[in-house]
Amino acid sequence: MRTILFSVLVLIVGTSISWGVGGMKKRKLPPYEYGSVVISNFSQPAGIPPVVFDHWVHRQYYTCRVCHVDVGFGMTANSTKIRSTDNMKGFFCGTCHNGRSEYNKKRIFASCAKEYSREEYKRCVKCHVLERSVAREEEFFRFADRLPRETLGNGINWEKAEADGLIRLTDYIEGTSVKKAKMKIQRDFALKAKTEGMPDIIFSHNKHTVWSGCELCHPDIFVGVKKGATKYSMVELFDGKYCGVCHDKVAFPQTNCQRCHSKPPQG
Amino acid sequence: MIYRPLKILIMAGAMTLCLALQTVHGAGVWRAEFDETCAKTDDAMTLAIEELTSLIENCTRLEKAVSSEEETVRKVYLRRLQMCKNLYIFVRESKQLEVQPK
Repeated sequence: MRTILFSVLVLIVGTSISWGVGGMKKRKLPPYEYGSVVISNFSQPAGIPPVVFDHWVHRQYYTCRVCHVDVGFGMTANSTKIRSTDNMKGFFCGTCHNGRSEYNKKRIFASCAKEYSREEYKRCVKCHVLERSVAREEEFFRFADRLPRETLGNGINWEKAEADGLIRLTDYIEGTSVKKAKMKIQRDFALKAKTEGMPDIIFSHNKHTVWSGCELCHPDIFVGVKKGATKYSMVELFDGKYCGVCHDKVAFPQTNCQRCHSKPPQG
Repeated sequence: MIYRPLKILIMAGAMTLCLALQTVHGAGVWRAEFDETCAKTDDAMTLAIEELTSLIENCTRLEKAVSSEEETVRKVYLRRLQMCKNLYIFVRESKQLEVQPK
């Protein structure tokens, strides 16, 4: 009896320790859920479901920069504190979702309204999602089917899709964005890997500025002005710092090591 | 007698129009300056330190103008100005480091 009790106690303590150290194993997100952000500053207190924002729907049309710099969305969930009144005034979601703007000759549905009919409520639930729909999942797979594949994240190689012209990104919204001169192409550079045997990291400014411009990363995410002054560690990256602000949330996961740890630059 | 209320009505209308124009014109002025100031973020690395300093000062001045706007405009444009200004400061510091004697 004592032996059984002791064994049970060891089992409970051992499980608790391993749970405390390792945590619950994170559920691997299905590709259509990767990059989904739940926004709920004010929705649930107002008695409506939170907004589920799917990055895959939007990043096929727009650069990260246009939304996160020009429109003004924050880089973390719930940091922007969007109100329906903001949307109705033509800011944030309402910049495009105003019922008047068009993309590829298709009218973009209006976001929030002060008053709405029962019929119009169908529009609300496009964003204020009650539960995941099979239709949305099927829409994702139809969309992803024609794009270059990748093993992790959305299962889509977004970089290749853009480079091959399969998706065309808009980096300018009339009335919101600022007209700028074309950016000078930046050179790639290598960052030395700390672990012996691990290939060096090739960082491409060119690839990143296509999506993000300059001010999205500098200085909020990458503070150091002197090259090599900031020492990055994978622990910090996996914790959501530096590259981890985007990679593991929307851009390809950091477990896809060879995407960054690749061969040294030529020349 | 008939003309007096008409006069008052015309004056009230004119005052409302002036106020509305002032608001629109006011927003238009800082918005144009904002567009001009933050248009150079993609070229920031090619700018001289003096030009970057001037742009940073413009941003600081614009922050004061935007601070008097209504809540949503403040929320959006103060953040945009902050990002624009911080980038210019970042690039200026980078250039100042390059210029410093080793």
